[in-house]
Amino acid sequence: MAKIGVFTCWCGENIARHVDVEAVSEAISKLPGVACSMNYKYMCSEPGQSLISEKIKELGLTGVVVASCSPHMHLKTFRKTVELAGVNPYMVEMANIREQCSWVHSDKAVATAKAIELIGIAVAKVRRNAALQPIKVPVTKRAMVIGAGVAGIQAALDLAAGGVEVILVEREPSVGGKMAGLSETFPTLDCSQCILTPRMVEVGQHPNIKLMTYSEVEKVDGYVGNFKVTVRKKARYVDIAKCTGCGTCWNACPKKNKIPNSFDYNLGNRGAIYIPFPQAVPARPTIDADNCLRLQSMKKGKELCGICMKNCGSQAINFHDQDELVEFDVGAIVVATGYKLYSIGKEQENPNIKGYGEYGYGKYKDVIDSLQFERIISASGPTGGEPKRPSDGMTPKTVVFIQCTGSRDNAKGITYCSKICCMYTAKHTMLFKHKVHDGAAHVFYMDIRSGGKMYDEFVRRAIEQDGALYHRGRVSKIEEIKVDGVKKYRCYGADTLAGEPCVVDADLVVLACAMVPSDGVTKLAQKLSVGYNEYGFLSESHPKLRPVETNAAGVFVCGACQGPKDIPETVAQASAAAGKALIMLSQPYLTREPEIATVDEKLCAACGACVQTCPFKAITIEEIRDRKGNFIKNTSRVNPGLCMGCGTCVSVCPSKSVDLIGFTDDQVYAELESLLA
Amino acid sequence: MSSETTAGAGANSSAGFEPKIVAFVCNWCTYLGADLAGTNRLEYPANVRIIRLPCTGRIDFNLVVKAFEVGADAVLVSGCHPGDCHYTAGNFHARRRWKLFRELLDTVGIDTNRIYFSWISAAEGAKFQSLVTEIVEKTRAMGPYQDYRSLVAES
Amino acid sequence: METELRNAIRKLLEEKTVDVAIGYGRVGVGGAVGAVFVTSPDEVDQLVWNNECRQNLAVHLTRPEIKALGKIAIVVKACDARAVVVLANESQIKREEIVVVGVVCEGVVKARFDGSNGEQFFEKCASCVEHAPKNVDVLIGDEAKAAELDAKNAPTAATSGNQAKLAKLRAMTSEERFQYWRGEFSRCVRCYACRQSCPLCYCNRCVADKNRPTRIETSASMKGVFAWNLLRAFHLAGRCVSCGSCAAACPAGIELDLLNLTLVNAAKEHFNYVAGEPGVPPLIGTYSLDDEEDFIR
Repeated sequence: MAKIGVFTCWCGENIARHVDVEAVSEAISKLPGVACSMNYKYMCSEPGQSLISEKIKELGLTGVVVASCSPHMHLKTFRKTVELAGVNPYMVEMANIREQCSWVHSDKAVATAKAIELIGIAVAKVRRNAALQPIKVPVTKRAMVIGAGVAGIQAALDLAAGGVEVILVEREPSVGGKMAGLSETFPTLDCSQCILTPRMVEVGQHPNIKLMTYSEVEKVDGYVGNFKVTVRKKARYVDIAKCTGCGTCWNACPKKNKIPNSFDYNLGNRGAIYIPFPQAVPARPTIDADNCLRLQSMKKGKELCGICMKNCGSQAINFHDQDELVEFDVGAIVVATGYKLYSIGKEQENPNIKGYGEYGYGKYKDVIDSLQFERIISASGPTGGEPKRPSDGMTPKTVVFIQCTGSRDNAKGITYCSKICCMYTAKHTMLFKHKVHDGAAHVFYMDIRSGGKMYDEFVRRAIEQDGALYHRGRVSKIEEIKVDGVKKYRCYGADTLAGEPCVVDADLVVLACAMVPSDGVTKLAQKLSVGYNEYGFLSESHPKLRPVETNAAGVFVCGACQGPKDIPETVAQASAAAGKALIMLSQPYLTREPEIATVDEKLCAACGACVQTCPFKAITIEEIRDRKGNFIKNTSRVNPGLCMGCGTCVSVCPSKSVDLIGFTDDQVYAELESLLA
Repeated sequence: MSSETTAGAGANSSAGFEPKIVAFVCNWCTYLGADLAGTNRLEYPANVRIIRLPCTGRIDFNLVVKAFEVGADAVLVSGCHPGDCHYTAGNFHARRRWKLFRELLDTVGIDTNRIYFSWISAAEGAKFQSLVTEIVEKTRAMGPYQDYRSLVAES
Repeated sequence: METELRNAIRKLLEEKTVDVAIGYGRVGVGGAVGAVFVTSPDEVDQLVWNNECRQNLAVHLTRPEIKALGKIAIVVKACDARAVVVLANESQIKREEIVVVGVVCEGVVKARFDGSNGEQFFEKCASCVEHAPKNVDVLIGDEAKAAELDAKNAPTAATSGNQAKLAKLRAMTSEERFQYWRGEFSRCVRCYACRQSCPLCYCNRCVADKNRPTRIETSASMKGVFAWNLLRAFHLAGRCVSCGSCAAACPAGIELDLLNLTLVNAAKEHFNYVAGEPGVPPLIGTYSLDDEEDFIR
């Protein structure tokens, strides 16, 4: 027998001014199942809550309705109240007679009548509530970090420092990501490698971190606290346990310095067996199967070359190496897959985005993107830090920097600001001027966006101290010309502040291209059930309040895979993601809301409609067998670790064999029936 | 239902007919949008009864039928804008079902002018206010949903 | 064609490819055509093929007592064949365990109330453009003839038969439609013949038979029959293959298939979706970011 207590709140005058709370209490007291109906000035205050718990104890109430504000405001408060008084916290419903009634209706009679109906709905519902227990899900105290750029490195180090075992997965042969290839960083101009390489070494040596380089995530099963991730360890042809990194092999390779090095964005060369850069971690080589003479010959049944193997003192080279699938149980996953630059040429992977054919990228060797320029001015780069242009090695005297190439250009299909280009372009002009004192650095920009600590000062310094020439306007076209027999690139720009065309003949053109998510991120996101936007940037749970969580419980994001950002922000976000993951992994069990879907397995026909519809892949078809193992029937089954409680399955189930606890059909139909006047 | 009776019902509207509107809303967007209307003291007619569900994905078509059975003169179904769903895709699934269900209702002659669908975000208190006001006014003008009421009366 | 059919089934039974064949036979009152379950090669002469083979036999595929007989062969018309595909898509049958024997169908005639045959073909047959069943294991009949019939109906398929009836209905005012269905539904006694005859109404317990809560009124009251008929039709959205079994089974002669056709048309028009294609995910349960939302404020 239900004994419902209804507690109507005045909310000071907020409710009582427009709702006759006495009349409400009186009317509600006559509803079936209502054992007491009272009102009080502030139900959420200490005396208000005491009133509820006294009545629970005095009358043995089985359920409580608080008629006050929005459940988003105080449902948790009142759940706690009744729990302390010995009633299951899920036996509370709220009638929202403030936001939905007293605040929006000024006629007291009308508002009072509506309040009575709203409370009637809540009473009808609470009579059908069930006592629920929070769901406990066990947790594997191990995390996986996907991507080992600066974000992944930071997240892995923080997690490892928190005592959690970390699997750090990186698809390239070395950790380090984009940052490892940068020259110096704004706004301090400290050398990128100097700050990053110690961290790289640390992840390589940390006892809690298992490094999986040259590896990619193949498959993700399971759910929060209990993921099973399959990682494809690509054939490297070098046993990194045996290898000492002595370098004999890559120096002996007949293809040495003949293959474009993608780490240098193809401005420098490497061999078929190579380390991408001298500070690589692990400092172990990889064989590029497409270019290795031996591996290619083996396809034709021959065994050519093999010089590296013959020279290897530690017998680390294995031409018969194969991809290997390794499975890991992890409790949390941090995605840190970073970015790449948008391809400037006409060919695009995304059909909604157009290229800049008019800039001649790909056609003119000296029109390069900003990451290539980083390599050209980096001390560890292919030119040893000497600014030389790719086509003929000449030291450029006039460099044109074009900002917002792709970014903020609706016509080309990318509407967002890539956020870091204003800053790094200012940095580029400074680094260039520091190396070529008589050079001219022209910047074409739309706006200068330099919000950040010491950022605007940095841009001012580039302009005022280093003499960078800023032109507010776009470049419409670039043409190759010859001036006194020297190749130049005529940039047809505009200076909209001066109101006149601005044409510059440049030796080198650097395009500050839009940042886009790195290749394959949407496929990974699908494996992880993480959302992404039209550009492929991963979606956080809430832009302000849950910035590193995703809608896939247990999966966190950080760095540029979530949106364009600079190094400080990336590192901060990586630590945040690691922190959130640590909070999760520090508990013996995960507690989840019990308001999830449940299947009546006897009646389920296993048509699979719910399986198809579930946004969280929380429902699977399972076999029911008797004790002897004989097949009885198939049924849908909800994984309580994955279900988020949206109830979409209920709507598509023709026989309503699945129901949503907390919002059952029994409750919802009763709410509707309460409206029968 | 003869046209006279419908006209009579219309005439009724001025004589104190108060439409009953049932709103099925999702917990994360439209419910919060209604909360915001309250917080901003945006007044609207008191004819709406909100049934809170976690997601538009949970709103089964039969609930709309049931709402008419309990005397609703109009029904509002509202949730998060596309892309904003707390559960990522519940509203997309709902959108497809509604499209199909409306066609069926149309063939059966259930007045689709009495069923409203909307996306109202947590920030759109004003949209909630104006839509509810519009629904109440239009429903008042149409008069009580005699057709469905008479079905129920015959039962 | 009948001989060909019998021979095919005989072979399947003789070679023990199947244990039972579901086909048509003269088993009803006065020799009316209905389902027969042939389990031995000696019985195949019971099988008939003519324009009275109106039932969709796929309804038997999900019945546990039939499944218990062993491996099944089933005789299907083109529309029925699509129902078999939907059943496989919805994991109700394992397609590879069933031998589907398709027969080219030139249309089936309606039965009179006394069980004798009328001259009138079903409306669905007038607009049929799939006379030869697809996705079958054995095809019996003249495919060329089927193609000819398809071509003959194609130009008028969207405007003839039930489409014509539906178009006429949709041309009425909403109020007139309501009154039309109110009249039709007033004859509904909730016998559930529509449900029993539909191969896709296979739930273990229909929601109409559930209480706590009573989602739809169980009695044949007006609100109950409206709710039931809306529910039955909508549960077939994106699934109905327009076999017409429901309407044919209705003792009150309510044109239930017009409700289904509304949704068949809507699926095609708005989602370019046709039920009964192998391996295609369900219409309801999937979505596209580009789904129409012109009706959403």
